[in-house]
Amino acid sequence: MKIIGIIPAYNEEKRIRATAEACLPFVDELIVIDDGSADNTFMAAKSIPRVYAIRHTINRGQGAALRTGTHAALHLTADIIVHIDADGQHDPSQIPDLTHVIKSNQADVVFGSRFLGQEPKGMPLSRRALLLAGRWFNTFAQGIPKTISDPQSGFRALNRKAAVQINFKQDRMAHASEILKLVTRSKLRWMEVPVTVTYTADSLNKGQKNTDALKIAWQLLLGIFTKS
Amino acid sequence: MLIQILLILGFVLVFAITWRRFGQNVITFREASLWSFLWLSGVAFTLYPGLTERLASFFGVGRGVDLILYLAVAIQFFLIFKLFILNEQSERKITNLVEREALSHLNEDEPASANRPSNYESNG
Ligand SMILES: Nc1nc2c(ncn2[C@@H]2O[C@H](COP(=O)(O)OP(=O)(O)OP(=O)(O)O)[C@@H](O)[C@H]2O)c(=O)[nH]1
Ligand SMILES: [Mg+2]
Repeated sequence: MKIIGIIPAYNEEKRIRATAEACLPFVDELIVIDDGSADNTFMAAKSIPRVYAIRHTINRGQGAALRTGTHAALHLTADIIVHIDADGQHDPSQIPDLTHVIKSNQADVVFGSRFLGQEPKGMPLSRRALLLAGRWFNTFAQGIPKTISDPQSGFRALNRKAAVQINFKQDRMAHASEILKLVTRSKLRWMEVPVTVTYTADSLNKGQKNTDALKIAWQLLLGIFTKS
Repeated sequence: MLIQILLILGFVLVFAITWRRFGQNVITFREASLWSFLWLSGVAFTLYPGLTERLASFFGVGRGVDLILYLAVAIQFFLIFKLFILNEQSERKITNLVEREALSHLNEDEPASANRPSNYESNG
């Protein structure tokens, strides 16, 4: 089975090489999508063996980059697709924890969860509270099962069938909730597995602000009314 | 009052424009009639402000002007939201274009092979 990892990267010139190289032992091929970065993320990615570097000419957001990456991976005949953050917060050695579930045919989609026993490293309390609120928001506003423990997980794996079927539209950060909703409403079999996510001063500095949660809610609302 | 005269002049002007556009085949008769209804009710409300008061008390709102303000706010809210949605649709179209452009290079950009030196940079 061909496993292809997808790493959306925005201004990750300094970190992309380390992240990609850490992932390569656990995948057959990697696709890095430089999402219109201002820095040289593209060239940094292009020079790494077994990495396909794709470039968005302008920034379209993490969801858009994942969509481009997913289509590329399907084109490259992937059997399993893994979504990974470029900023080094995900632990690449846990990729097999996700792909294993699909390989052994226990699920079509696997979500890595930060809240299934493995303590996130350095996650601020405010972020933890916000994610708890996000979980309730997903339940009431989106109709996503409360059993999903991580409302905003970015570390996930899909088999080919699921990747073809799950047609998410959100371009920016709201794609995570949207994918959860589409998957849990579909007939696809899904599962959560515990993963560790590391928060460093660097990742917090560049990462999402707590107020971005409002943006996500707003985009989901707009999404309801937006056709196509 | 001066304001009444100005308002009525305005309504008469757009009324004239509406039928001119109908004459130019720009809008249909149905559209022209609907717009005319709007302009003429504008004239009516300007000439007889008491009308709005009656409408307002019918809806249970204190003053006629308040009713108009409430309606205006509601309509503006609706229009702005519609703009947001139109914008979202354009954004998605842009994303589609960007994706297509990006994927068109997929076949020509084979990954660097494993035996290239790690500091390999293409001439781009
Ligand atoms: N393609 C693309 N990727 C982005 C964009 N913004 C961020 N990313 C990438 O998405 C990944 C996650 O972004 P973060 O901002 O850390 O979001 P997060 O991990 O959900 O939030 P934190 O919990 O704050 O780290 C990183 O690998 C970023 O490089 C963007 O506009 N486009
Ligand atoms: Mg992050």
